[in-house]
Amino acid sequence: MRNRVREQRTQRGLSQAEVAAALGVSRQTVISIENGRYLPSLPLAFRIARLFGMPVEKMFDPDGEEAGR
Amino acid sequence: MMSFIRPRWRKPAWTVFAGAAFAAAWVIRGGRDWWLWVSLVAIAAAGRAFAFYAWGGEDDDLAALAGSRADERQRLLSLRSRALAFNVTALAAFTGLTVAVAIRAGWWWPFAVVLGVTGLGYLCGLLAYGIAEEGPADDASPQHQAPSPLSG
Repeated sequence: MRNRVREQRTQRGLSQAEVAAALGVSRQTVISIENGRYLPSLPLAFRIARLFGMPVEKMFDPDGEEAGR
Repeated sequence: MMSFIRPRWRKPAWTVFAGAAFAAAWVIRGGRDWWLWVSLVAIAAAGRAFAFYAWGGEDDDLAALAGSRADERQRLLSLRSRALAFNVTALAAFTGLTVAVAIRAGWWWPFAVVLGVTGLGYLCGLLAYGIAEEGPADDASPQHQAPSPLSG
């Protein structure tokens, strides 16, 4: 599952810690999501999509290759 | 249950509670050196509680668990680790029970108790976390008997 979290975060000039604080998760979890090591729950996936103002299906691509691999 | 205690204090509080219970057991047991064992338990519990509190302020996954502020991924990590611990415990208990029975040892029963408790805990988990909440299939009623478009 590919995601665009890192791409969207860097485009907005946000740090991983800032995104983590906005999502209510740890910085380590943001890193794991960006690297494709952790698939977020549906509520967290929606929170991520809302944070970056994108539909969830654009934020997470089930047909894409895993991020960070 | 522990929500009235601040998250960072929860694990230290549990540690102090468990240490006090274990120390009380040594007091009740009595004997010549009971005060020595109570002192050792108190020192170990206090050290562990302090370590949990200090560690809980760090910025990593284990610290988040120690500080009772884990997010969903960290809770999943903990859950998987506990599941692994359960499996290892059950396997060790089964191995111990098998060996004890084979050599006709009298200490077979603690293994049987551990094996029984882990099995019972697993069954309780299945019941508590929703295995019995499945309802009937939504095509069970006559109004849902239309052929599926997938059935050709």
